Amino acid sequence: MEHKKVKLMTSRNTRYYYLLALLPFVFLVVMYELLPLIMLVIDSFGLDKKPEVRFSLENYQKIFSTLSYQRAIENSLKITLISTVVGIVIAFLGARAAYTSRGKFRSVFLTVLNMTSNFAGVPLAFAYMIILGNAGVIKQIANMYGIGFIQNFDLYTSNGLTMMYIYFQIPLSTLLLIPAFNGIRQEWNEANMLLGGTNTHFWMHVGIPVLLPSLFSTLSVLFANALCAYATAYALLMNNFSLLPVNISASFVGDIKTKPKLGAALSVVMMLIMCVVILINNFITKKTTKWESR
Amino acid sequence: MRKGSKVSSNIIMTLVTVWLLIPLLATIIYSLFEDWTGIIPHGFTLANYQKIFTDTAFLTSMYQTLLVCVIPIVITILVVLLGLFVVTVYFPKLEKYMQILCMIPYTIQGVILSVSILILYAKGDTVLSGRMTMLIGAYCIIILPHIYNGIRNGMRAINMNMLLEAAEMLGESKLKAFFKVIVPNILTGITVSSLLAVGLLFGDYVIIRNLSSSNVNNMQKFLYQAMKRSSAEASAVFVVIMLITFAITAIVLTLQSRSTLEKIRNGGK
Amino acid sequence: MAYIHFEKINKIFGTNHVLKDIDLDVEKGQLVTLLGPSGCGKSTLLRCLAGLEQVTDGHIYLDGQEITDVVPRRRGIGMVFQQYSLFPNMNVRDNVAYGLKLKKLPKAEINQKVEQMLDIVGLSEKISQYPAQLSGGQQQRVALARAMVTAPKVLLLDEPLSAIDALLRKNLQIEIRRIQQQLGITTIFVTHDQDEAMVMSDMIHLFHEGKIEQSGTPEQIYTRPATKFAATFIGNYNLPTAADFNRAFHTDIPGQDVAVRPEIVTLTKQAPKAEDGLLVAEGTITSHISHGNLIRFAVEFEGGLTLNADVVYENKLDFGEGDRVFAAMKKDLVIGL
Repeated sequence: MEHKKVKLMTSRNTRYYYLLALLPFVFLVVMYELLPLIMLVIDSFGLDKKPEVRFSLENYQKIFSTLSYQRAIENSLKITLISTVVGIVIAFLGARAAYTSRGKFRSVFLTVLNMTSNFAGVPLAFAYMIILGNAGVIKQIANMYGIGFIQNFDLYTSNGLTMMYIYFQIPLSTLLLIPAFNGIRQEWNEANMLLGGTNTHFWMHVGIPVLLPSLFSTLSVLFANALCAYATAYALLMNNFSLLPVNISASFVGDIKTKPKLGAALSVVMMLIMCVVILINNFITKKTTKWESR
Repeated sequence: MRKGSKVSSNIIMTLVTVWLLIPLLATIIYSLFEDWTGIIPHGFTLANYQKIFTDTAFLTSMYQTLLVCVIPIVITILVVLLGLFVVTVYFPKLEKYMQILCMIPYTIQGVILSVSILILYAKGDTVLSGRMTMLIGAYCIIILPHIYNGIRNGMRAINMNMLLEAAEMLGESKLKAFFKVIVPNILTGITVSSLLAVGLLFGDYVIIRNLSSSNVNNMQKFLYQAMKRSSAEASAVFVVIMLITFAITAIVLTLQSRSTLEKIRNGGK
Repeated sequence: MAYIHFEKINKIFGTNHVLKDIDLDVEKGQLVTLLGPSGCGKSTLLRCLAGLEQVTDGHIYLDGQEITDVVPRRRGIGMVFQQYSLFPNMNVRDNVAYGLKLKKLPKAEINQKVEQMLDIVGLSEKISQYPAQLSGGQQQRVALARAMVTAPKVLLLDEPLSAIDALLRKNLQIEIRRIQQQLGITTIFVTHDQDEAMVMSDMIHLFHEGKIEQSGTPEQIYTRPATKFAATFIGNYNLPTAADFNRAFHTDIPGQDVAVRPEIVTLTKQAPKAEDGLLVAEGTITSHISHGNLIRFAVEFEGGLTLNADVVYENKLDFGEGDRVFAAMKKDLVIGL
């Protein structure tokens, strides 16, 4: 008995000894994730011009009263929302198409989606300049044939930017939705048909409700993806277009005078927007998945 | 399904495919010709490629890209492996917190992460304030969700605790058994998630721009500078970047389909 | 014309000729089983009747009307699938009410019919649960209620019990048969399980490679297989060649092969009294396998013929391996194929 007790003691001690193996992880996360974020929040209450002030809401007041910052938030939300909604609609159609068909079309489609899923940022902006920039290939063809709406299209505006955002949202969202569609069973639609329902009935009463949780989680991924996108906008318009990520970066790194504390406050605003989206998403997920519970 | 819906499916897939391919193909063609002002490009040439592959700045950026991709991935894999081992075997109650910590980077992403690291370390003068240290730290965090998910899913798929107990009965210590038995078994999962991480870091522009000094360039930064100089040269850089991206994606896809095939085969037994 | 009438049905998938000139009648109120191994076309015929597949050629009539080209939702057919056919986002009540709501019946009537039907399948207390909270057997009973509540002209059951474990399956077989008879609903049942077909059916149609191999009552199919395939698929028939059998038993059964059910063979140590129409031969027991109440002996005769014989186990084994025994059977129970 004595012997056994001793053994138990040591095994409990070695258990805590193993905590040492967790240290590298804790170090990494604390030093490069938690502390920076905490500092960011603390800094957002300081002032760039008066370093002695520790707590002030001036930065936030400024953000919500200055036109240029308001425009940054507005632009960011607008481009994010439009690209997210358009992205999810196209992804829905695309994923449904991939779900209903088999064979060559489908495998080409899936390959292209996978291949373009990492196509964003600087390369994307560059490719669009090549085809739709002022001397772009498609622009020139449109000029030759007098295709008005392409001739008048200006890539270097929020429209051009939105178009690129939609571009990088499509592969991502379609790839996220395809597994959800594969969860829709053929039998459900067949049962619906035999019970007197049309295709529309099926999608309204069964298809979309079943997809809803996946649709909403995809929406929130797309939202984060667009809201935080920096490289695409910067490569196209540099600091000349007001967007939250662009403004944040510019207040830390740049040719003009930096304003890190104000930038911190802008970052906090952006994080809050993300948090609101996540909370809404969690709420909707809870509402729409009660039938999944076992 | 009805015939009509099949036709409309094919139309939708074709439209999306074309829409996604136009910018890519156009830029590839652009890089291979001297002049493209009409419909048909003129003067096939490889000069653009010759130029960038003889440019030491470009070759340096390739090398530096490789470096800043590989180091963070190795660090993160080791750190997460150790952490997940301890947590799942000895402290399962901590699992939840570990997961939350690993998922935060999903929502903060590059811009906020890079500026918050700048705030914390830029002014100091220790090792931590080195540009390279900050960059690698940020990269480790940004790939954390992918690496964590890859290893976690791998562990779930193989019933780790049972395997560890079996190894322990054969006289191995759990830690040893973990690296000898578990890690080789989840290697495909680790490979896939590190390749996804390579794809992510390879495409990074904002973190490296905000954190690194001007003499550290990855290929994205190089492309940005090149397109300010000459779009002909930049188009060749673009094609090289896309080819590398495609290669990574292709490897991921083959590994994934092979591992699902294996699963099906094993399930069949 | 019969209540359901299939006329020269052909179905071709690509190069695969799945149904070949099928003619089949089903009388009103009957439970008819399409029996056969997987891939024999039985499910395809069912799906053609439901309108989920288009026939390549042929005509289908239901209740005197041709329905070959009618869309599924206007055919008045209820169907239960193998599994997972319940709408996962609806609870039991909404699943069962789905078809009635599409018919735009008044709410009170819908509720009353749903509750009545759930009472019949014995799931009244599960009315507000979701499919994920039910067992496989409960899910199939809900599916049955959903298919029957709209009072379809025909009920189709496509291997509804194949994913359910053995014990529960037996109960559900009896229950489905009871409900079918209680409501008098014309039912077509598809299965690959011969026992299931025997328990449940008024009529069995045995399918083989896109054709109907044999039709008849369960008893007819069991005792009088018409072809070698039917004999292989049903029961545990011995199927020696006629030549081998006739040589060993000194008789003259016509045809290529002979089908002998193991339970018609009696084994004795002494030679039985010679009778008219009794075939007797002496052989050696080579093995025995216990099936609980039955012992199956393998007996080898001169010329290499081996037959299985089932003996009801009473309290001891009369013979063992290597024993010489006399095997006897009535000639008119031996079937020449």
